[in-house]
Amino acid sequence: MKEEIIRYDTVSVVFDGITVISQFSLTVNQGDKVVIRGPSGSGKSTLLKMAQGYARPDTGTVSYRMQEIDAATAWAIRQETTYISQDTDIGEGIVWDLIAGVFAYTANKTIPYRDCLGEYLTLFSLDETTLDKDFRTLSGGEKQRIVIIISLLLGRTIFFLDEITAALDGSMKQQVAEYFLSHQDWTIIAISHDDAWYREGIRIITIGGK
Amino acid sequence: MTTTDITITGLFFAFLLLAIPVFVMHKTRLPMIQETVWSFLRMSVQLALAGVFLTVLFEYNAPVLNVLWLGVMITVAAYEAVRKQDVNIRKLYLPTVAAFIIATVICLIYFETLILQGGGFSEARFLIPIGGMLLGNSLGGTIIATSLFYNDLQRNENRYVSALSFGAQRKEALLPHFRAALKSALKPSLGNVAVMGIVFLPGLMTGQLIAGLSPMTAISYQIALMLTIYTSTTICVTLSIILTSYASFDAYGMLKKELFQKR
Repeated sequence: MKEEIIRYDTVSVVFDGITVISQFSLTVNQGDKVVIRGPSGSGKSTLLKMAQGYARPDTGTVSYRMQEIDAATAWAIRQETTYISQDTDIGEGIVWDLIAGVFAYTANKTIPYRDCLGEYLTLFSLDETTLDKDFRTLSGGEKQRIVIIISLLLGRTIFFLDEITAALDGSMKQQVAEYFLSHQDWTIIAISHDDAWYREGIRIITIGGK
Repeated sequence: MTTTDITITGLFFAFLLLAIPVFVMHKTRLPMIQETVWSFLRMSVQLALAGVFLTVLFEYNAPVLNVLWLGVMITVAAYEAVRKQDVNIRKLYLPTVAAFIIATVICLIYFETLILQGGGFSEARFLIPIGGMLLGNSLGGTIIATSLFYNDLQRNENRYVSALSFGAQRKEALLPHFRAALKSALKPSLGNVAVMGIVFLPGLMTGQLIAGLSPMTAISYQIALMLTIYTSTTICVTLSIILTSYASFDAYGMLKKELFQKR
């Protein structure tokens, strides 16, 4: 029996008085790969945000490692799982300073991120010179890859990924999806409309729509 | 040490100047005439009352009365600082008042004891104007900084959330937003400081010069006061953001959105 990582139990989401998700239940165990799809406004992103406590269900519960997520556990979950939002705007300034800033956080100080940075840049076809550019001048695809690289450098193994390949071109979509899905021990819940994520052995969940 | 009073006739001529802005507004159909006239009338009444009040205050020069008046000034300043933002006033009022009190009291005590050596802390004519200048200047900075801080956080929520998901503590995730806010509060003061004495003579100096004090006295007051104001703005902005943040975030570290809805 694999360890349970996250469980949604009869979760409802209400936007402005309209129930967009009702009675959603999902259990994700360690090593599972789940891809969620559905029309925009269907509440997918909100579901993903609940995993790190940025949103809360209107009814129902969300648990992490068998424990219902509350304020105290949310802070702990943020330290051991990775959430990437679909908005790639993570800050201002030189890319290198942004990356160094993340690894200056007390929680990340001991992570040897410099060792793997070059490797990831190559893997995702980014030039070393990207590091010296102003983050805001990067293209959508470049920003997305920088955010992915920072997340990978953190070395965590549980990922909540919201449309992280949307701005990438065809072959890069494949490469990123392949990279995440090929790690046996990684637990992944990804929202995506890209075919690159729909592979054998992946649980596909459709919410909203008919 | 002679000074010339402005007579009632003189004041009349001062008010007559308003005819020019009013005329321009009328010709260009800029709808600010009513506001202009009303603002200056209100100002005149307020200043007249302040004149009467200060006369009494200086006459009695009772420490209790001085401190009480300072309290009124602080309360009004804090009220203004909160009112000018679109926030729920009750929730953020107390922390803002606390920030004002702490910043102003610390800087006033410092100014009155260490800078103005031997100068009376209980002297109304030192306490009230200097307290007023500290408050007035911190007020501007705090309004700019706190509204920028919370607007920035709402507009760029994703940056904050990303920082949290990258493992930042709330403090660490808020730091870039705080930096931007403090910078915007202090930048105008620095700009003023840079051209001071060349482009314009600040109010305090002008007042002292008109009162017949030597330019050197006026200058030393001005230097000391600018340094104190800069420091008190920094303390006030920092404390305001720290103290209001206790009321503005929930236990999950998320901004309480209902606080910032425009009513």
